[in-house]
Amino acid sequence: MTELQDTGLRRRADDAAPSITDLIDEETVQSIAQEAWSALVGEDEFLVPLPGDLPEDAVSSWVDVRGPWNGTVVITTGRSTAEQLSRELLKEHAPPVLDEEDIEDGLGELANVVGGNVKAVLPGPSALGLPVVGDAPVAGPDTCRVDLLWRGQSLTISVQGTAGALLDQ
Amino acid sequence: MRALVIDDSRVMRRIVSGILEDLGYEVQQAGHGREGLDVMDGGWVPDLACVDWNMPVMDGLQFVSAVRSNPAWRQLTIMMVTSESEHGQIVRALAAGAHEYMIKPFTADAFRDKLALLGMLPQEAVL
Repeated sequence: MTELQDTGLRRRADDAAPSITDLIDEETVQSIAQEAWSALVGEDEFLVPLPGDLPEDAVSSWVDVRGPWNGTVVITTGRSTAEQLSRELLKEHAPPVLDEEDIEDGLGELANVVGGNVKAVLPGPSALGLPVVGDAPVAGPDTCRVDLLWRGQSLTISVQGTAGALLDQ
Repeated sequence: MRALVIDDSRVMRRIVSGILEDLGYEVQQAGHGREGLDVMDGGWVPDLACVDWNMPVMDGLQFVSAVRSNPAWRQLTIMMVTSESEHGQIVRALAAGAHEYMIKPFTADAFRDKLALLGMLPQEAVL
């Protein structure tokens, strides 16, 4: 994760507000996601930063962030990968057969955790929406996007929304 | 000991409930704060409530405030379990009456450590 170090410099009123891309980059998003995977999916579970092809039945989950920056954090992967992820989240508490709600709920929870930690990188208060699962959100262009492989299966995480300087709150 | 797990995510409820059951807790679940209050109004009063922040109908902060406004429930230990990690949010939750704050993602060991910090590990889990 990009470490935000105190340089001793202070922002003055007439300084330009930081841009979202100053705060959120691919390395930061991957680091947040890896932390979530290690804690929730399994400590030996790794996200490899390599692009892969998403299957036709890809499903997305996303959460909105509202505050100095307005945008959406989106996780997209194949349905069978989403099912495996939900099973790993539940571990020994997983039922023999996962239903659709379990699968969507698991992917939604990962979006919620990754989105919450993306929000934490932003300055000032922001609000986090409830996770939504579906084909794809209607959001802005990618601010940044990481293409990853989990157990050889393709997964993307994108931070989408308004580009440019953050709003003063 | 009894624990009430309140989260709109069924997967997260099962994860947290599983950790608590492994420690020896008797667990009930609720999908939002209002449902949690209904469980308690029905007479099933827990020793511990693990509460998500962002939920439909009644969020975690509203639940904490409602619990703290009822003197009959003042013994209840409340731990927020949430991906809301802003310092200001943590301060608000603690000011409203939550005892501890667990930020997602977390491991089962980290969860257990928080309970130990609160003195909320059941006897059988300590031994």
